[in-house]
Amino acid sequence: MKKKIIFYLGIIIMLGACYPQGPEYYEDLDLVYTNYDDQYDFMSKGTYAIPDNIVKVTGDLAEGEDPEFVKEPFNTQMLQKMESNMTALGWTKTDDPANADLVLFPAVWTNTTVYYWYDYWCWYYPYYCGWGWGYPSVSSYTTGTLVMTLVADGDDYVEPTRTWTAAANGLLSGAYNASRVTKAIDQAFEQSPYLDIK
Amino acid sequence: MKKLIAIAVFTLVVFTQSAYSQQSGYWSFQYAMGFGTGDLGAYVSAPSFRGGLIEYRKAIKDNLLVGVDFGWNVFYEKKDSDTYTSGTEALSGVQYRTQNALPMLVSAEYFLSTDNALKPYVGLGIGTMYLERSTDMGQWRLEENPWSFAVKPELGLLYEMSFSTSFKLAAKYYNGFKTGQLENQGYFSISAGFTFHL
Repeated sequence: MKKKIIFYLGIIIMLGACYPQGPEYYEDLDLVYTNYDDQYDFMSKGTYAIPDNIVKVTGDLAEGEDPEFVKEPFNTQMLQKMESNMTALGWTKTDDPANADLVLFPAVWTNTTVYYWYDYWCWYYPYYCGWGWGYPSVSSYTTGTLVMTLVADGDDYVEPTRTWTAAANGLLSGAYNASRVTKAIDQAFEQSPYLDIK
Repeated sequence: MKKLIAIAVFTLVVFTQSAYSQQSGYWSFQYAMGFGTGDLGAYVSAPSFRGGLIEYRKAIKDNLLVGVDFGWNVFYEKKDSDTYTSGTEALSGVQYRTQNALPMLVSAEYFLSTDNALKPYVGLGIGTMYLERSTDMGQWRLEENPWSFAVKPELGLLYEMSFSTSFKLAAKYYNGFKTGQLENQGYFSISAGFTFHL
């Protein structure tokens, strides 16, 4: 009898998969993605323009309304980091986007995911399903994304064309600290050696 | 000198002690370590110290036992932040790599000697292996979970401690053949545990 119990217990334990350890710090979930147009000749270009503010994409902008912008000091911190990286790669900033070879458009958005469960014990006994027993548990998390796009325009193009895109994504920690974002901006340029025109 | 005497006495006792009984079969519960090779070794370089094994054997001859095995090993590694490139795309971040391997085999063991308490054997198992490979990066998970055909050659020792119990030590190699999702998945395993005679 004992052997049978041990045997079936062993089977039950073994049928489940095991995931030993997960992330411990917010930084462990930070991701930086980049992609570029390999047909675009970056080496023949040299100037770029960048807005003074980073827009916050909220999805509910009405026509004629001004968008929201990232608050200071984070706005300046992030823009300065982008500009210093572009300068280090040999690019020259111009004030007029009409005269620049490329325009760097930064934007941010946040996304909140809410999840809940209440059918956790249905497998055990259907009576205990649903709202009749056990409380529903609700939790949420918010992620932030910074997107930087280098856009080419002018006589050579029918419409503005994306030549490089970078996206940095991570969980929002609630701490007012731009270091994770500025680190992600550095990483985006570091993994884009084709932007080096020196 | 005392150590040498102790080792000599132990060896004499173990190798010359007569077997308690004829073999009819056993249940075995063992702890198992895993060491990945080939594609699995490249995916997770760290050994697996999370593993177990349940075996059932029935004697069809005095020195030949057949039965079934259910095994489980978890391979896990956290890869520090790194950049992964594919074509024009690049992605940087921390990766959590987990692979669960669950071999389920029909096995046979041929005992080279059954007269003494210490019984060396060779074995072979054939069956299937369920693999669950999960790569976590940021908030995303890439999962591959094929079933593969598997074989397992084995060498081991069974030490009969009493009429009802033996100690088993084995070295084996699990080879899961290539599937549509994964290359060959192979790993060495060393297992140790107790057997309970039928």
